[in-house]
Amino acid sequence: MSRLIMVLAACCGLTATAFAQGPRIEAPAPAPLPGTGLGGSSVPGSPPSVPAESETPELIVDLSRARVSITSAFHGASILMFGMFDPPGEIVVVVAGPPARETVMRKERFLGLWLNTGRQSFLDVPAYYAIAASQPLQRLLARGAGGEILSLEDRLSTVKPDGSRDPAELAKFRAGLVDVKRLEGLYPAAVGQVTVQASRLFRVDLPFPSRLPEGVYDVRAYLLRDGNIVAAVSRPLPVGKVGFSAQLAGWASRDGALYGLGAIVMALFAGWLGGAIVRRL
Amino acid sequence: MNVFVLLGLGAAAGLLAGMFGVGGGFLATPLLIFVGIPPAVAVASQANQVIANSVSSFQVQWRRGNVDLRMGLVLLVGGMIGSTAGVALFTYLKNIGQIDFVIAVLYVVMLSTIGLLMLIESLRTYIKRRRNPGAPRGKLHTHYLVHRLPLKLRFYKSKLYISALLPVGVGFVIGVLSAILGVGGGFVLVPAMIYLLGMPTTVVIGTSNFQILFVAANVTFLQAATNGTVDVVLALLLILGGVVGAPIGSRLAAKLPGVVLRGLMSVLILAVAGQLLVELLRTPSLPFSLGPREALK
Repeated sequence: MSRLIMVLAACCGLTATAFAQGPRIEAPAPAPLPGTGLGGSSVPGSPPSVPAESETPELIVDLSRARVSITSAFHGASILMFGMFDPPGEIVVVVAGPPARETVMRKERFLGLWLNTGRQSFLDVPAYYAIAASQPLQRLLARGAGGEILSLEDRLSTVKPDGSRDPAELAKFRAGLVDVKRLEGLYPAAVGQVTVQASRLFRVDLPFPSRLPEGVYDVRAYLLRDGNIVAAVSRPLPVGKVGFSAQLAGWASRDGALYGLGAIVMALFAGWLGGAIVRRL
Repeated sequence: MNVFVLLGLGAAAGLLAGMFGVGGGFLATPLLIFVGIPPAVAVASQANQVIANSVSSFQVQWRRGNVDLRMGLVLLVGGMIGSTAGVALFTYLKNIGQIDFVIAVLYVVMLSTIGLLMLIESLRTYIKRRRNPGAPRGKLHTHYLVHRLPLKLRFYKSKLYISALLPVGVGFVIGVLSAILGVGGGFVLVPAMIYLLGMPTTVVIGTSNFQILFVAANVTFLQAATNGTVDVVLALLLILGGVVGAPIGSRLAAKLPGVVLRGLMSVLILAVAGQLLVELLRTPSLPFSLGPREALK
């Protein structure tokens, strides 16, 4: 109930600003679509820097799937983000995987053999990072610096190393991190294409690779006007393993000792059964 | 990872195991590494498979009365200490990011040693037989200074009166091998029991199975509890493959003379060692890799 009131209040706010802006005639605020969460007004984690307009239905988005389920046969997924915005404007979509501490290991040749000789940990590394935009990103961001929209390079420049190291070396490890992530398809180099139709509908395919880390991903759409963010909507996208082997893996990490005992009992039984069958043949 | 690839791999390892009368773990683990299973997971899951392998064999030997329980228990004292120390070493190497390298290097050393010894032995036997078909076999065991060690124990079933330190030491080495390489260690244990301890061949197989069974269980438990590297599904696929492959292998083996069989086996072992060595020598496509992700506190 309180949510509805909030939404209504936000709509009134929008109408007021629209009138204040001048002669543009604003259509009546659209009725809330069921199940879409209406512009993500209730989604937690919206950055504080986003202006209050983000609570308005200037930008409505949804995802074609509520979650990414990793089964044992998972070979990547493609999720569609679609939505509607008040023209004019351009859309930028940023997908960020959950941040974690990552350790980069460097291999070097030693007596002809390749082995790990150095390691460097980084804090707050996004598991995945991809950007899609309705226009070339540089052009969009150059106009008004885009505020909080970060390219991969910008995002990674905020990543802090764990411990100190010579800056030149650190840069090599940083580049190594990006190389490995890129090879696994987790940091796509290309900016995805947001397609706009009828100048108010947009859609973008978000492809995910097969080796996808688990966690809650943040899919965030921005509406830009003259280089300024006028609305931002964030949808959480949980990515998790499902099925029997996922449950087993969960058990293994929760209670390793019990899992170990289970593994022993399984092997004893399987060995006994196998032996009994073979002897009968 | 494809289920059928792993099943086929289990069957192939089982076939080889049945054909050459070995546990097959020391061939299955490198094969798992070749198909892309992380070495640490391959080793720990292989230890889980070894339990299944040794339990059925142990059952048969036990019923025939071919297990020297006293010797087995003394071996096991060393085996338990060795495997616990081995898992601790494994954990340390994993934490400093060197476990995969150490596993690969140890496999190269171990496989090439065994492969070469077998190849030389089978070539020598082959040549000798051709020259002199009726040549008697050499004597089975010799006595060394080990018989002067303290803490002597009487092993009635093995008809031995030797220092307990000796089987404890042998058990320890096998335990460490089992923990780091995921093998049962029968291919080292059996010769050590015959040549080093001087045990009669009748009780060697059953007693080694007894020791391997408990050491593999200890390794599985500790690996699961401390490193989380045991994959039960992977182990089960290997066991299933082995159940299918082993009888076929032993039937094939019955049709081939022993010398030829050992020669083939040695070539195969050397090929696996060579492939592992090539992977260690080859320049990686990226000189960087990522360790495990750790959630932020």
